Amino acid sequence: MKVVNQLAVVDAEKCRGCKTCERICPVLAIKMENRKAVVDNERCRGCANCEQRCPDYAIKMVKLEQPVLVKVDVSAVDYALVEDLCRRAKFNPEQLICYCTATRAEEVAAAILQGARSPEEISFLTGVRTGCKVECIQPVLRLLEAAGIKPEPPKGGWQWYGRTVTVWEIPEEVKKKYASRGFYFDEDIKILDRVANAPVQERSDS
Amino acid sequence: MRPPITPLAPRPSQYGIDPSLVKTRAADLPGMTSVMLKELFPDLPEVIFPCEEGVAAIRKATEESLKNVDMSMIRPEHSVNILAAHHGFTLLGGEPYAEMLKTIKDVIEARTGCKNIRLRAGVGLRFRETEEYIKRYGLDQHFNGKAIGVAPVDQGIPIETEVGTLYGIKKIYDADWIVHAHNSDVREVHFHRQVDRAVKPFGMAYARIETRSTYHQNLGPRAANFTARAIFDSPFVQSKFAFASFLTVAPNGIINVDADNDLYALNDRITQSGLRYYGKIMTLFGEIDECIAVLDFPCPVVYVFAAGVIYANFAGANTDLYDLDTALPAYTWYTESFYGKRGKPLLDDIPRVNSAIKMCVHNYAWTGYPSAFFSEHIPTVVVGQEQADHFNMDPQNLTYMKHAMVAEDLKAAMEFAYKVTGTDKVVIFDGAMGGINVSEPLAEFLLKKAPEVSKRVDEELLPKWLRQRGVIL
Ligand code: SF4
Ligand code: SF4
Repeated sequence: MKVVNQLAVVDAEKCRGCKTCERICPVLAIKMENRKAVVDNERCRGCANCEQRCPDYAIKMVKLEQPVLVKVDVSAVDYALVEDLCRRAKFNPEQLICYCTATRAEEVAAAILQGARSPEEISFLTGVRTGCKVECIQPVLRLLEAAGIKPEPPKGGWQWYGRTVTVWEIPEEVKKKYASRGFYFDEDIKILDRVANAPVQERSDS
Repeated sequence: MRPPITPLAPRPSQYGIDPSLVKTRAADLPGMTSVMLKELFPDLPEVIFPCEEGVAAIRKATEESLKNVDMSMIRPEHSVNILAAHHGFTLLGGEPYAEMLKTIKDVIEARTGCKNIRLRAGVGLRFRETEEYIKRYGLDQHFNGKAIGVAPVDQGIPIETEVGTLYGIKKIYDADWIVHAHNSDVREVHFHRQVDRAVKPFGMAYARIETRSTYHQNLGPRAANFTARAIFDSPFVQSKFAFASFLTVAPNGIINVDADNDLYALNDRITQSGLRYYGKIMTLFGEIDECIAVLDFPCPVVYVFAAGVIYANFAGANTDLYDLDTALPAYTWYTESFYGKRGKPLLDDIPRVNSAIKMCVHNYAWTGYPSAFFSEHIPTVVVGQEQADHFNMDPQNLTYMKHAMVAEDLKAAMEFAYKVTGTDKVVIFDGAMGGINVSEPLAEFLLKKAPEVSKRVDEELLPKWLRQRGVIL
């Protein structure tokens, strides 16, 4: 869930058409037209990624007069399915998976159950990945994978490259090799499993 | 009682309010004093900075320590990337780190004849932060225009590791050789737990979002630290790694510069000094029974520091952050993510935020790091509407002000804090060098508690902490 309160605005004079912004926008809201970046205002989620990386400082963030609430209605899907999907991805449904927007696993699961098929669509619908733009790609990929979906990274984009290892997948020989160096793999599996299986505090359908 | 130490002036930055809006510094308030860290812990090391000589002492120490490093792999026709990270620029004004970077370049050039030496400076979550520092410290000039900031959303490069593919930032690795230029300041001990501290940037400031998300979401609070080791040990990174050079830091200043071709040897040395010196301050902070915390430093909320300890760690000082048997500190991202919809942890044994912090007065701190957890769980008063508005426009802090109050000025904020909390103990997170700015009652409290803490760390805690990390004294 996110309240979008700003929008990216391109200064066409300054834009040199390098495509950086198009390659990193987490919701694919930027397209190049006549070698200039053009923002789709309806899609922009105000994350400022483009503004922060444009090498020519051609993008400014502008405050929206009317902020837009972006949110997937979790109660619109059977909560048993939401719970099942989250736990298969080894998340508690109430676990926060995006710290900036306080988006919980259940909302991303609900977005997937309602038809979202890629991280870009999920970000567009829930706002996840539009705060810091850094920390929450893996939970999104894990939830998609648990739903049997294998998304392809946007062609030519730098939005994301792939799912990476989870602690449950660390090979035994690696654990053994580094057993004395303070990584506590098995102990961390225990705590993550306990969290994933803990009862929820407030079912979204109650 | 000693007068307060003059804190670092506010800095112009896109991540903070205009310095002219910071009207009063907390250290200038009535009743404030300072305690030198050596007074608290006389066994803290002697420092080379701050000193009268200024950054010349850092240049000398860097040159001295690089004498022991093999640079023969670097040929005149090669390219070298000196890898830096934002954090170093927040230490003691930033000049010491900038000077070490400049010196490394000069020494490589003089020793090897290589001229194609670039600076690649990684960031946390403020993608233009190191760009600002590169200009501020004249690094662009010193590196002949070859100094850039890199961010985790920039083009990536796959790195094959023992645990599968992870991803680095392409521009970090686009040279024949890389030199890892960092520091041993403890900073985010809630994340790294002083495990492989020296290696961490390979999984963080030099890494792409996929890797950083692995650290913070896929592996768990302690296993996370394996991310950096996996990348550093990969054949790809090993084929490029030349050496590392670190500012070695204690809570009271910079101890020295430590350079080595063997990063793990350097890592063991800083693990020891980190646990020994920061462990004492951290443990002492855990003893504080009640206080008002004032944030007053040009850094995001979590990173403002006092006595070398960041506010994020003070929020978790009720847990022993170094004890690896404790899975979750009271504040770390895993802990934050485990709070359910009712605003309490999903498991009963997850520790709550340090209840000694009765109130936080946010006089001056930056955006650019998700900080809503703090205002949600610690009563917070933000000074000045401009600062509140600034937070409301940060995509990472859209709900910070939802839980915080706004005071017109620092005086009003403090009056409110004193009245509501009933405590007269105040700790100021303003990065004061060599000491700590506090209210008089807290100064007395710390001086009284320190000897017992020192003994406990030396005799009980330090041996346990070292054992847990496989570091033999
Ligand atoms: S990043 Fe900047 S210069 Fe490049 S296409 Fe986008 S707006 Fe234009
Ligand atoms: S969503 Fe973010 S990156 Fe995309 S156009 Fe909007 S501000 Fe720019």
